[in-house]
Amino acid sequence: MIETPSLTPSLLPALAFLLPILAGIVVLAMGRLGRRFCLGVSLLAAAFLAVAGSLMAVRTVRGEILTGWGNELRVDALSALMVLIIGGIGFLTTLYSFRYLGKGEMGQGAGIVRVERRPALFYFLLLWFLGTMAWAAVTNNIVMLYVAVEATTLTSGLLVAFFWDRRALEAGYKYLMLLTIGITFALFGCVVVYASGAASGGLTGREALQISELREVAGLIPHHTALLAVALLVIGFGTKAGLAPFHPWLPDAHAEAPTPVSVLLSGVMIKVAVYALARTVSIFFPTIPQLAVFAVALGSFTMVLGVILALVQDDLKRLLAYSSVSQMGYVLAGVGLGTYLGYYGGLFHLLNHAIFKALLFMSVGAVVLATGARKVSELGGLGRRMPVTGVCFLVGALAIAGFPPFNGFMSKLTVYLALADSGLWWAVVVAVLTSVLTMVALVRPAYRVFWAAPAGDPGRFQGVAEVPAAVWVPMVVLALACLVLGVVPQVAYELLSRAAEALALAGG
Amino acid sequence: MNTSGLPVDLILTLSMTMVITSVVAVEVRHLRISAAAYAVQALLMVALLLSYARMNPALYWWAATALVTKAVLTPWFLFRYIGKTQEVEVKPLIGFGPSVVVAGVLMILFFRLTHGQGEILAPSALAREEVFRTNLAVASTIFVLGIYAVLSRRDAVKTVIGLCLLENGVHLSLVSLAPELSETALFGIASEVVVTVFLLLYVIEGIYKVFGTTDTFRLRELQW
Repeated sequence: MIETPSLTPSLLPALAFLLPILAGIVVLAMGRLGRRFCLGVSLLAAAFLAVAGSLMAVRTVRGEILTGWGNELRVDALSALMVLIIGGIGFLTTLYSFRYLGKGEMGQGAGIVRVERRPALFYFLLLWFLGTMAWAAVTNNIVMLYVAVEATTLTSGLLVAFFWDRRALEAGYKYLMLLTIGITFALFGCVVVYASGAASGGLTGREALQISELREVAGLIPHHTALLAVALLVIGFGTKAGLAPFHPWLPDAHAEAPTPVSVLLSGVMIKVAVYALARTVSIFFPTIPQLAVFAVALGSFTMVLGVILALVQDDLKRLLAYSSVSQMGYVLAGVGLGTYLGYYGGLFHLLNHAIFKALLFMSVGAVVLATGARKVSELGGLGRRMPVTGVCFLVGALAIAGFPPFNGFMSKLTVYLALADSGLWWAVVVAVLTSVLTMVALVRPAYRVFWAAPAGDPGRFQGVAEVPAAVWVPMVVLALACLVLGVVPQVAYELLSRAAEALALAGG
Repeated sequence: MNTSGLPVDLILTLSMTMVITSVVAVEVRHLRISAAAYAVQALLMVALLLSYARMNPALYWWAATALVTKAVLTPWFLFRYIGKTQEVEVKPLIGFGPSVVVAGVLMILFFRLTHGQGEILAPSALAREEVFRTNLAVASTIFVLGIYAVLSRRDAVKTVIGLCLLENGVHLSLVSLAPELSETALFGIASEVVVTVFLLLYVIEGIYKVFGTTDTFRLRELQW
């Protein structure tokens, strides 16, 4: 069933990350042309990234592997999936950001720079954030993978602190400090893999930098060195992915950042970290099968801790951030199994989580935009005034809780099946229970905010109206995607299957 | 790779002095002196890289990059921001005496590890030989001292110095672990640390203006 993939040199991988970076420079240099100009350039670049992701997906599904700059850049189905997520969610977020930052938050508060410079700086950082994430997805160089993942922290650090008030500054400081320290462990891990690949695998210095070469010789690396490398990589990329117990930066950053940035952090960036983790650690699965139990245990711990902390939140954005921690547990439990079915389920959930978490953050952002409040206890009865936002939030909540017919149900079911298939029944029980708690954590606030009577003055939200179309259109697109992937999950089958094979065959 | 002809005594002396400068950078409460100790350490690191460069010419390029990023730019940023915020560090969590003990214990532990059970830390035969195994022990000590500084210091600028030490530890270990690493990779690694330091100090300046202090224990807006 698996034919040898054909290597095709292509410009696409290099363009995918260089174009957003160039567009960012243009925005910064010509920002005085106004907010609309910045948005236009950003939209074009993000649309290009989405199209590039789609083209990569089509070609990799056909069995091609795109390479660039020798073998420095390499796009298989897994990389294509990541670029598609980065481009797709990136485009919708950029569209969403226009009215969002235009009306409300951009002009208020202390702000990182003077008001008139803010749109240019914001879109510059946003484009570089997208570009560096795409770079992480297409690089084949293990040290450059570290460099690219760290670059995503640097480009998003100022975006997290963008409002420059007490909360944003604290979140920004913690974000930069904790992620940089965490990712340094990943550098150590990458270097150990590289050095042992060169020493034990007999690769030349140049070959040993390439992940595609390293996975061929991973079996020759001594057991204790491999374990050291895996531990360092899990701490490093795991911190970035928000896995417990390395998650404390995540709720602060995801909640205090401007909402379009929250969407990208929760919807895309933590997936890029999981991608880096899967790319590097999966090469050791064939030789160290015990890793599966460890990964599933870590995933289960992350699931439970995340959902418990989500249950006690009153702030809607912090609630969503903690539920991201919890959902990353599912992705890890799936991908960490090291089986084809596990990879398939984990990656499917990764795709789905990108869609519904982006949807949920955008919906909460719409509520903040319309009412200025984001605490569950302060809100209520918005459903009749904001019907589109209400329905979108409910769709997102049901999807993340794994309720049929939405996409979360399908991917969670695949993860359960994969866990059961590997005989880890305890993990299935933990995962199902976490799903029930997720339902409580998300659907209860959805009811409170949109359909229960507001606390205190019943006329508080009299003047509130639905958000403008530029804000709700991206939400509706994502809500429809939740439904489509739930009802006809086979539309994603080819790409996910190829991506899962790319990991499952590693080292084998 | 030809490792003969390396100036072993010089390398050992420089390595030991690097550990001492780390302890000074962590312990001195006057931030300018602390930053100066860091700058001296960066210069020692450049000298070390130059002494290793005899076996691998790529290390000349690495030494030049380290000189610009670690010995010039990073101290410059530090001095600039110390001028804008407070000069003396907020009282740390753990004082001078215990810290010196921690440094000593770390040093002994890592020496025993690299000289006794070298294969745990060192993936290649080269890294288990002399000079390279001492380098690994020194690098690990500086790395953990950096983590210790970040965890035990309350002052935000001091945690940034701790972060720089930690990164220096990792970068120094590359000489033993990855002597054939390409120039672009080294450049990427080194330049990102400078950008991180710049961004962190930029945010800390904002914190100082808004909170009136650089005490990280006062950052208590976000809990749970």
